[in-house]
Amino acid sequence: MSNVALRVEDLKKTFDPGLLKAKVEVLKGLSFEVQHGVIFGFLGPNGAGKTTTIKAIAGLIWPDDGAIEICGLPHTDEAAKRKIGFMAENPYFYPYLTGREFLDFHAELLGLARDTAPTRVSQALEKVSMSDRADRLMRTFSKGMLQRMSLAQALLGEPELLILDEPMSGLDPLGRRDVRDIILAERERGTTVFFSSHIIPDVETICDRVAIVVDGTVQAVGEVRDLVAHEVEAYEVAFVGAAPPALTTPVLASQTGSDASWVRVDSGHRDQLIRELVDDGVRIVGLSPVRSSLEEFLLVHFQGGES
Amino acid sequence: MRAMLAIARNTLREALRDRVLYLFLGFAVLMLVSSKIFGLLTVGDEGKVIKDLGLAGVQFFSMLIAVMMSVLLISREVDGRTVYNILAKPVRRWQFLLGKYLGLLATVALNLTLMALVMVVMVRLYSGEWDMGLLFASAMILLEMAVVTAFATLFAVLTRPMLGTVFTLAVYIIGHVAEDIWLLTQHITAGVTRPIVAAIYYMLPNLERFNFKTEVVHELSIPPGEIAVTIVYGLAYTVLVLVLACVRFSHKDLT
Repeated sequence: MSNVALRVEDLKKTFDPGLLKAKVEVLKGLSFEVQHGVIFGFLGPNGAGKTTTIKAIAGLIWPDDGAIEICGLPHTDEAAKRKIGFMAENPYFYPYLTGREFLDFHAELLGLARDTAPTRVSQALEKVSMSDRADRLMRTFSKGMLQRMSLAQALLGEPELLILDEPMSGLDPLGRRDVRDIILAERERGTTVFFSSHIIPDVETICDRVAIVVDGTVQAVGEVRDLVAHEVEAYEVAFVGAAPPALTTPVLASQTGSDASWVRVDSGHRDQLIRELVDDGVRIVGLSPVRSSLEEFLLVHFQGGES
Repeated sequence: MRAMLAIARNTLREALRDRVLYLFLGFAVLMLVSSKIFGLLTVGDEGKVIKDLGLAGVQFFSMLIAVMMSVLLISREVDGRTVYNILAKPVRRWQFLLGKYLGLLATVALNLTLMALVMVVMVRLYSGEWDMGLLFASAMILLEMAVVTAFATLFAVLTRPMLGTVFTLAVYIIGHVAEDIWLLTQHITAGVTRPIVAAIYYMLPNLERFNFKTEVVHELSIPPGEIAVTIVYGLAYTVLVLVLACVRFSHKDLT
């Protein structure tokens, strides 16, 4: 069996807003793969094509070209749909239903057996910590509670692939932490999680791999640490004693301690600094690269895409 | 099938919790008041007046539900994005649309049945007879509403809620003057107007076919063949319009 949970290949989509308006090319040959059992972050600025891609995967819009496979099956296949749990961005609900009625309805849509459905509903409610509020009308729920219910309906079918569009958007820090914990718990269970987000620290913390999409194409894909590893922007040189008083190398930052000190220079001046320190008889004890954060890395790519 | 019925049940539940049955209460009050008034104004024919008024009321209130609720409830699912979570599951788009249609028709049918029962009881109180013909005429109104709801479903898929409501109302009104449109084609002799008017006549349903008020109120006989043709006509029209709606919805991007 292939280890690929989701394959998106050369996806293209152009929207036609109607008469007298220019067509909008949203996806321009977008491709990526998500392996089984990972948390995969899908990042990009507004209008990059993230939600369009996710809607195409969920079968809500029809791509003009390209292919989408879920666990080796075409994404429109009923068997493929049974393997996914989907949560839309800014979910809306039926205000006249209680939380439990809402999940009962979705259990029927999934075709869960009548004897197992109530157990599954209870388990899903428990996973999102909504068991004690399940019999309240959803119109009385806060945004965070609605987000949890949306997650619960996505988890109901015990999916192999969980697709979440901006699951942490609009949540307070506590709500974000809860959603993060649920995503991590699902990975522990063996579920593949594919999610888009604007909240970079969350992505950095929990994602195994990320794809960066800008202007309808994937700009970079890989593990977070690999992506930022390529972006060494400075070096710190540590040495014994204080720094020589008249360093000619341009220094970005420095700190002098009683036993050891360090000096930070940009990548281009690394060799010059080392030579100068050695010439001054300074004993170098360490050289470490200073890498950009994922946020800085993304900014570079986003700006590059926009220009 | 199970998913489709679940969607139908959910639609009926939504309509009921939206207090659609208040329309039925409105009808009951209207029947009581108008029966009193017209009972005073007419001598000897109170029963016929009540039947006539009652069937007109059943038709009007059913049309209100069919037109307003259908477009609103389907558009609400799409615009409110609740449809996203449904269609990402193993549910086909035609199953969703037919589920919505069945739920809406069930809402209309429930309301219509309650109204018909009130009408039968009122007639019994005023004229002392149990007129089961009223139930037949009501069933034909339900068949008419099946066609109207199918059009509302089609327009909900094709356009915005407000336009959808206007278009469905237009179909309802034109459908009741279809025979006049046919007569009009006989009087136009030349030009492109005749084929255009003829095309409108053939495209839109003749809703007067479902009108058996006169026959029931005046206790005229209705040939069984006519009833059969009317039923086949109504069902065929409904299926045709729903197929069009499903085909369009299947290709629609839910943006």
